[in-house]
Amino acid sequence: MNGPVDAAIDEVPPSSFQPESADGDEPPRQRFELEDTGFKEVPKRWRKFYRIWQGEGDSLGPNEVICPVCKVVIRSHREFRPGDRVYCMPCMSRMVVVRRPDGSLEAEVTY
Amino acid sequence: MADVDHDEEPHLLEEDQFLQEVHSFSFWFEAIEGYLEDRPRGYVETLGEPTDSKTMSDADRDQLITTLCNYCVGESTALEASSGLVRMAPNNHSRIFLATQVADEARHLEVFLRRLEMLGVTNPEAEVEARAASGLVEFRKRLLDLVDQGDWEAAVFAQNVLLESMEDTVFKFHESVADTITQQMLEGVVADERRHLGFGENDLGRRLAHDPDGRSRLAAIRADLDPLVLASFDSVYRELGLSREDQPQLGKEYLATVERLGLTT
Amino acid sequence: MADFLSQYSIQRWLEMCPQGYLEDTVNGHDPGLSEPEEILGNEEIREASIALTVQLIAGERAALAASSGLVNAAPDYASKTFLATQTLDEARHVEIFTQRLMDLGVKKEDVNSTVADYTNPNLVKFAEVLLEKVSNGDFIAGVVGQNIVLEGMAFTVFELLQTTSKELNPKFAQTLAGTIADERRHVGFGENRIGSLIAQHPERKAEIERMQGEMAYHMLATFSDIFTGGASTMTRERDRLAAQGQSIGDAGWHGTDLSTATPADMEAVLADTVLSEFKTRLGRIGLEYQTPKVPA
Repeated sequence: MNGPVDAAIDEVPPSSFQPESADGDEPPRQRFELEDTGFKEVPKRWRKFYRIWQGEGDSLGPNEVICPVCKVVIRSHREFRPGDRVYCMPCMSRMVVVRRPDGSLEAEVTY
Repeated sequence: MADVDHDEEPHLLEEDQFLQEVHSFSFWFEAIEGYLEDRPRGYVETLGEPTDSKTMSDADRDQLITTLCNYCVGESTALEASSGLVRMAPNNHSRIFLATQVADEARHLEVFLRRLEMLGVTNPEAEVEARAASGLVEFRKRLLDLVDQGDWEAAVFAQNVLLESMEDTVFKFHESVADTITQQMLEGVVADERRHLGFGENDLGRRLAHDPDGRSRLAAIRADLDPLVLASFDSVYRELGLSREDQPQLGKEYLATVERLGLTT
Repeated sequence: MADFLSQYSIQRWLEMCPQGYLEDTVNGHDPGLSEPEEILGNEEIREASIALTVQLIAGERAALAASSGLVNAAPDYASKTFLATQTLDEARHVEIFTQRLMDLGVKKEDVNSTVADYTNPNLVKFAEVLLEKVSNGDFIAGVVGQNIVLEGMAFTVFELLQTTSKELNPKFAQTLAGTIADERRHVGFGENRIGSLIAQHPERKAEIERMQGEMAYHMLATFSDIFTGGASTMTRERDRLAAQGQSIGDAGWHGTDLSTATPADMEAVLADTVLSEFKTRLGRIGLEYQTPKVPA
């Protein structure tokens, strides 16, 4: 699902994406161009940062995590890494990206 | 609305900027404009009366009326409770958010009542009263008591977590099996519920992080209220013609929320 | 009644407000407008503007608490629905006037203390009379207090402020224009819905009329404090504008030229206009207007 709408456009060093230290010696993060996928539940300027999870057959890109509260896919211009802060505007939740034992990334709600 | 650089992504906002943005009136109305703009009264009117509405059997129509009547009970409960919560809100952000929720709940009530009229119900208010599930009526009374007592945490839990979770699950399921008009109405309602659910969980989560003792109190309230709502929505599934084994796991999302909040007993 | 109430639906509200007169506005005004330098660069005028804006916030907070509280007490779904839209309108007013406070230089963390410091105590008493009725679940008294007395006052005050701002502060004038459009619906609902209820419950008249008299008294006391306290600033500002060959422009309002009126004249025309509106509106719904005592 991530492929058709996003394209990795370049490799850039981590900048203000928090926390800086989380990147350590890891390779630079991939950057992604985001396109509006038709998610209309937030104001226009924020729409490309969210999309509806399509269920079976859908997959998450390195710049995407699922909101555990409302199940919307949260997106970023940049590849996510553990420790990154993410916001789900449709349900107003604040989260931190964590790595699961299987290596995948998920968002954990911080209250 | 927060003063932000709109070229940046939302995740770079400071936390207070984020909360100011998502709780604002401007955010709310730009959001609902997105999914309601082409749907006056909750559905695309230009489509005319779809075939599935025209060919609905009397039995199906009657079942749908009962289901919608119970949705109206849930929505009017949420309308009265959320309006009561405005005055109790601890800050302006929450107050303004709750005011948007009040309007959302009123809109839901309005579209469901309109659907009842479209289905031939001449006095929707009387019909709602006649067909209301007793468990839901009792839940309504308990929730409004919590609001009257000024118990913010318990009322937010009962309304924005318990009731909204159940509605969200049932509406999503119903959306997948409903006639076109009802389906479109439910779609718009579910989009609103996301905000309400998120507000409830995040507000309680922040509070409970500072007040771990509050968990046991809320867990007790939860144990008291759960059966009323679960039984009511379970009966809605039956009205939709599903056998128990075909029903989606009704409380799954709700239980996940309760777990995140540490309210398991 | 059903037909009349259908005009106050959420659907109609959506068409009128977000998709109507508020479309393409930011905080109620065109994007790009800001508070004029004449206010931001003059400490006395800035402080007076802050004090004035605080009264608007205090009034709108009371309206928000009252309209939301009345949803529960409303006897039918259509009235609940209308009050839900009014709740949202009032929340928007709180938001945009709070934003104006910040535009005037009040830091976000100081908003609440600024509101607490500057809110006129008589305005607090005015709100308390109303909110007591709302807390008691008294729908008829609550709607008269909120949608006729409070909204009637706000409607007229906003009109006066808009007249004095349109030339020199278009941002504030536009913000007020949107709130006036909202208030029109609120006073309309108040009159139309309550008229029939008063006819059904004539025994409630005396008590509600007493409430109106009490609220009007606190309102006049608020006007008196504000115009007396701000008289010297208003006069100095008008003299300053005159010295620069400026004025607030074409400012005829209910027979008074606000560009030359003294603060006392302004207070008099405002009070007369609001009270006269009360009298007319209350008369239409079958209530007898109570002349308030004149505050000392």
